[in-house]
Amino acid sequence: MADIILRVENLKKDFDALPVIDGWNFELTKGEGIAIVGPSGCGKTTFLKIIADLDGNFSGKIEKNFKMIGFVFQEPRLIPWISVMENLTFVLPDKEKILHFLNAMRLGGFENYLPSQLSGGMKQRVNLVRALIVDPEILILDEPFASLDMPVKFEIIEDINALRKQKRFAIIMITHDTKEAISMVDRVLILSKRPSKIVEEVKIELEDEERDISNTAFIKTESTLMKRIFYNMR
Amino acid sequence: MKILLGILIFLIAWQVFSVVLNVPLILPSPYLTFESLSHLMIQSDTYQAIFSTVWKSLLVLLAVIAVGIPIGFVMGINESIYEIFRPAVTVIQAVPVISWLALVVFVWGIGWKGPVVISFLSLLPISIFTTATGVRSTDKNLIEMAKLYKVPKTKVVRVIYFGSLVPFIFSTVEVIIGDVWKVVVVAEYLCGSSGIGVLISWARQYVDVPRIYALTIITVALGITAERVTKIAFRKILSKWQISS
Repeated sequence: MADIILRVENLKKDFDALPVIDGWNFELTKGEGIAIVGPSGCGKTTFLKIIADLDGNFSGKIEKNFKMIGFVFQEPRLIPWISVMENLTFVLPDKEKILHFLNAMRLGGFENYLPSQLSGGMKQRVNLVRALIVDPEILILDEPFASLDMPVKFEIIEDINALRKQKRFAIIMITHDTKEAISMVDRVLILSKRPSKIVEEVKIELEDEERDISNTAFIKTESTLMKRIFYNMR
Repeated sequence: MKILLGILIFLIAWQVFSVVLNVPLILPSPYLTFESLSHLMIQSDTYQAIFSTVWKSLLVLLAVIAVGIPIGFVMGINESIYEIFRPAVTVIQAVPVISWLALVVFVWGIGWKGPVVISFLSLLPISIFTTATGVRSTDKNLIEMAKLYKVPKTKVVRVIYFGSLVPFIFSTVEVIIGDVWKVVVVAEYLCGSSGIGVLISWARQYVDVPRIYALTIITVALGITAERVTKIAFRKILSKWQISS
């Protein structure tokens, strides 16, 4: 199984005496997209930090067959006093590549703007460009659209999907929004309350053209997914 | 317009109090004070004294920034170093000027070094603690982002830590510029050989109270001018930092 880029085996994580993650097991293959949904405080963001080497205090086994991840944070995390271009060269000093991604993410011409001069959606796009310029094998999305309005959110999702087709990166997404999940991923892992376990896995078997919120198959899938989520979180 | 009105009200109140009190040795009238000020402004000694106070103040300002910011930076970046240095800096902050005076006069006698050293020691803790607070308040999310993308540490220090520090450095400079004149003049008064403080000391010996008030007006004018110029100069640069991402 050479195309498995992430294998999680019996992952456990406690905060002092409080168990948060209780034995997660799953695999992620190259180019695959998964969403993790679950109640607040069940360790979703903590899990992302473990994957990103920002938290090494856990038990269990994590097998990583990738070199680089891109992390789209919930809040843009842009350095306020430097321009968009400087924020991006801070991570990767390759202006040509950055300009290519800025254009792909509809940010061409904004490279010399300060973050404060951008709208919320534009800041999130810069956050996304920063994650993409490093050529990630896994793109991690930590509720990145939570503060955006619907049209902006789905415009960005469309752009990510288009880039994913070209670059073949995998996605791990944390979200509370079933529409976001269905638009972007192949599987949804549903978590129980804390200490969380992966209680169910729902496959999203939609063709590309069906991943549209107005599509009948999309609506049907969302209804099924929501039922499973409510059932498991009760 | 409102400022001019405020100044006018202040001058009227001053005149009224001086007439009511009628003790020119404590509160001379504005007329006597400004008469003394006009005499001072035509004497070359006054300008020499102003120049002497100005260069000492600038020297103190530069020294406080050059020494205080690196120490504050190191204290801010490392909790252990902060705890080790904190008592010493707190003690320096708490030592009364008179204690420094005894030491300084003993080592250097009367001259320019005493006022500079006393002012430096009085203002150094402000610079150190403000810088340390700035570093400690650096956005941890930005540090985490840099760590995730494996950004070299030197770049993180240069861009994120120094960048976070800028508003604190500017506010330190603003605070020190407001205070440095007062501190230098007091130190000159106590152990200086030239400067506005020395002129005040001589005026005190001759019981020339209007002259003391006139010299005070010069000091206040210098302080306010320096503070205003700094604020205007910093405003544009700081606009980047005042808006968060």
